[in-house]
Formats: sequence, structure tokens, C-alpha cells
Amino acid sequence: MSPLLDVRDLRVEFATRHGTVTALDGVSLRLEPGETLGVVGESGCGKSITALAIMGLIPMPPGRIAGGSIRLDGEELIGAPERRLRQLRGRDIGMIFQEPMTSLNPVFRVGDQIAEAILLHQDVSRDEARTRALELLRTVGVPDPGQRIDAYPHELSGGLRQRVMIAIAISCQPRLLIADEPTTALDVTVQAQIFDLIRDIQDRLGVAVILITHDMGAIAEMADRVAVMYAGRVVEEGPADAILDSPAHPYTRGLIGCIPAIDPALAALDRLPPLAEIPGVVPPLHLLGQGCAFADRCIEAVDICRKVAPPLTGRGHAVACHLHAAAAASEES
Amino acid sequence: MNELSRSAPERAASPAAEAWRMFRRNRPAMLGTAIFLTMLGVVIYGSLFGGDPFEIVWAPQTPPGEDGFVFGTDYLGRNLATGLLVGGAPTMAVGAAAAVLSIFIGVTIGALAGYYGGWVDNLLMRITEFFQVLPALLFAMVLVTLFSPSLVTIATAIGVVMWPQTARLTRAEFLKIRELEYVTAARAIGAGNGRIMWRVILPNALPPLIVSATLTVGVAILFEAGLSFLGLGDPNTMSWGMMIGANREYILDAWWPVTFPGLAIFLTVFSVSLIGDGLNDAFNPKLRER
Repeated sequence: MSPLLDVRDLRVEFATRHGTVTALDGVSLRLEPGETLGVVGESGCGKSITALAIMGLIPMPPGRIAGGSIRLDGEELIGAPERRLRQLRGRDIGMIFQEPMTSLNPVFRVGDQIAEAILLHQDVSRDEARTRALELLRTVGVPDPGQRIDAYPHELSGGLRQRVMIAIAISCQPRLLIADEPTTALDVTVQAQIFDLIRDIQDRLGVAVILITHDMGAIAEMADRVAVMYAGRVVEEGPADAILDSPAHPYTRGLIGCIPAIDPALAALDRLPPLAEIPGVVPPLHLLGQGCAFADRCIEAVDICRKVAPPLTGRGHAVACHLHAAAAASEES
Repeated sequence: MNELSRSAPERAASPAAEAWRMFRRNRPAMLGTAIFLTMLGVVIYGSLFGGDPFEIVWAPQTPPGEDGFVFGTDYLGRNLATGLLVGGAPTMAVGAAAAVLSIFIGVTIGALAGYYGGWVDNLLMRITEFFQVLPALLFAMVLVTLFSPSLVTIATAIGVVMWPQTARLTRAEFLKIRELEYVTAARAIGAGNGRIMWRVILPNALPPLIVSATLTVGVAILFEAGLSFLGLGDPNTMSWGMMIGANREYILDAWWPVTFPGLAIFLTVFSVSLIGDGLNDAFNPKLRER
């Protein structure tokens, strides 16, 4: 089976005051139809830029796609005419944003906004579009959709707004749904509901999902496969179970260490282990030198880490780390 | 407001309905609306049934109230009441037409500049600045003198000198709004540039534009009066500005032929300003809670 989405060696650069910085440095991702790919990493590591690049929405200038390819069902999207991209957006690729507060247009009723998305891609009447908008609101679990269809965004709660966003994203039954931190701005209880909804829609429509998040818990819950990103590169990639059970890259281990593991016995004694943290922050992209971008924060870093950037190696479960490569080599010999 | 009416359920209020509710509670704005509607009514009535304002009907400079002339007569013995009734229409029509024209040019240029940015923005803003640094009244005078003064040329001249402000305001709004997430979201469902500019960004940029448009009407009315006062108006059309201009030399002998048209202009512009101010408050409730 050919992949639904095949991103290869994608490089995106931005012109900034500090000169040209490489926001994505050789990112490769694959996604099969119906599959869920989790993309994790801290803020500023290139997750959202990857999503925007797939949508063809990198602001240019200052952005520039410096190389690589993005294929959707075999069709090359980089360099495709804007007309074609406009057809694909919304119809074949739907997107959900982080901030449901600001991603709906405040001056239009939500029903009209859903209908708008339908009318852009399908040859149906206004009435028909409205009927479908009502159906979609029901699909995404908005209570009392007959009333809510005429509500303005400010009259809805964050969770309901995110449901409306999802309704818009799936209005044309896309094959790919990109969810860019869809629950970051929501209450924890609502987060779980939204994840349930996304999974439910996935089962019903067979849509493939790219879930962008910094929440390892969400990954454990949702993803089939995971790509861990750091400073514009994929540093570890593979099946979700493998990565969660035996993370190979120190950064992934750090991320997983940040999930609080609550042992009831210890909690009763008030002696929970301290929560792990990764020291430091993602370095500003213009200060990236040669070598592994994570080296400065890595407790295991050795000399070579600061000199040579490690390539992503391994099939199935791939890792970009010198230490791991060395360990694997010694195992084999 | 008592507790009962406060807790009364309200149906989904559109932003426009909400603004109208705020506006209605604003007394100066409602006063302005009342004055403006009255003036408008008088002007419409006058232009239909006012009679001939150029006709000489009585002794020159009859003071107001004498011989049955409520506002008196001017230096040629023309009835001021008729002039006031008839002279408002060109003033208001030219003011409104000029405002519409300047808003149309200003919004188009400002939207293109703000949305596309880059060299488009640079080019359009340099053009805007060129028009902005021209002394407006002088430029309008030149235009009117070049082309024979008629209501159309006057409205065009005023519109052409007033659009830069609107363009700058529109550009600023577009620059701000185009970065917001719902614009990216609109793009993500496949909306094109035109749709995003006019259907997504413009509706959100409207409140400040409506306020500015209202004030533009006031300024345009003043402009028309100014041009007529200088004798650059259409000589075959009676207007408030022309009445002041024609009678200004005799102001020491008779105060009324300049005072009443002046008052009419003042009331109109004042009411428009009150409305604009009220709209501003209605659209930006936060500004009022100082």
C-alpha cells in the first residue's frame, strides 16, 4: 500500500533579523491511510511549521521551502499551483487549530462558518449546506445543535468551539486531518472528550490523523506511530508502543520522564518521586551550530555529539543519536 | 436596570445588534441621531416643496420675523427660509457622495496594501502619502476650477482629497487581522485571497471603519460648504455654503443671512459627530469604562 502522505527530507527556511534560519531540517514523515501519527516536541521545535508546510500555508516571505518533497497520495504538493492547493485544503486535508477561542471568525454564526466550508468545495445549495452543517454539529456531539447552529463563537465554551472547528475540518470528509495541539487550550476533562471525538471520527470516516502535541499522555492514548521532533529535526520515529516502552533518544526519554507516574503506595506515604525535567530550553534556531542540537541539554552527551549531527538511522524504529548508534553497533558485534 | 430585566434570557445577539443596544443607551448619540434625522427630513421636504430659492420676493435684508418672513430675506430680497430648505440638499448630497467615494477608494487601497504587504504595500502607501500631503482644500479648489463646478465634480474633488485617512485606517486593521488565527483557519479550508480579504477580514475591520466613515460625512459637508463659500460651488444650485459666501460682505448690516445657514451647517456636522462618537463607544465598550 502506498502511503497517504509522504514527506521527504523537507527543509524550510525563514529569513529573520539574525539571517536565514532553518526551521525544518530534513524532516521525513510517512502516514498510511487511516493511521494516526503523533508528532511530539517542545514549543518551537518545528511541529506547527511541519503542519503548515503540508497545508502549503508557510508564509512566504519570510518563509521558504528550501528542499524536499511532500506527496499526498503520490501527488507532489511542493510547487503545486495555488489553485490546486486551494482545492486540496479543506477537501482532502482538514486542520484543527490550537486556540478554539481565536480560530473561529467572531462575526459570523458558527452554522454559517461550517456551511461556508462546504460551499467552498461542493456544489450544493445554501439550504443543503445548512442541513449538512446541522448534521455535522450532531456528529461532533454539540448538544442542542438546532439552537447552537445560530450561535456566535463567543457564546460557546472552549470545548464546544473546538467541536465546531472539528466539524469544519471534517465537513468535506478529508482523507487527512491535521490536529495542531487541539486540546492545549482546554480543560483536562474536555481534552479527553475531544480525543474521544477525534478517535470516533477516525473510526467512522477512516481519516488519517496527524496529532501534534507536546503531551506524551495524548500520544500514548491516540497515536499508532510517533515522530519526536527537536529543533527542526525528527530525532526519533517509530511505532508508538516501541517508543513509549523503550525510548532510544535521550530527548524522548526526557519527555517521557516528564509524565508524572503516580504510584498509589508512594502517594499514600506522600513520597512521590520528584518529577523529572529536561534542563534548559530549545536553543534559538539561529544559534544552532554543527553537531546534535540537543547536545547542550543532554546529560549523556560526549565529544562527537557537539561536532557531528547524528543522522536518523534504523528501520521501523529510527533514532538520530550517536550513543544509540554506538550501542546498536556494539550489540551487533 | 433592575435584576429582573438583567436576568431575562437574551437570544443570540449578533455583534451588530449588541452595538445597536449600546448605541441606543447613549444619550448624546441618540440626540445626534434625532437632530440629524430632523435636518434630513427638512432637507428632503425642502428639495421637494421648497420653491425657488433664487426668486426675489421682498425688500432686501428684511430682519427675521418681520412681514411674515421667519428667517428674513438676504441682500437681494430672497427668502432665507426657502434658501435654507432648498440649500441643504446639495450640501448633504455632496457630503454623502464624497464620503462614499472616499471610503470606497480608501478601503480598496488600504485593504490591498495591508493584506498583500511587501512592494504592493510600499507602492500604495507612497501614493497615499502623496495625496495626504497635498493641502486638501487647495487641491479640491484646483480640481473644481479645472473642471466646471457641478455637484459631481465637487463631490469627486472632495472624495479624492479625503480617502488617504481611510486607506491608512483600513491598512492598519488589515495588518492586524490578517495575522489572527481565524484567517489561517479560513485559508486552511481552502478560501482564496479575495474571499479572505472581503469576507473574512473586512467584516472584522468594519467597526472602526464605520466610525470613520460617519465622521468623514461631517468633514465632507464642511468641505462642500467651504468651497461654496469661496464661490467655487455650482452657481446654479443654492446651498448653505453659497448663502454664507454671498451674504458675507453685508454681515455688518444684516447678521441673519449668514448666521442661519451657518447654524444649519453646524447642527448637521455636530449631529454627525455625535453619531460617530456614539458608534465608537458602541463598538468599543471598553473605551468608555475609563
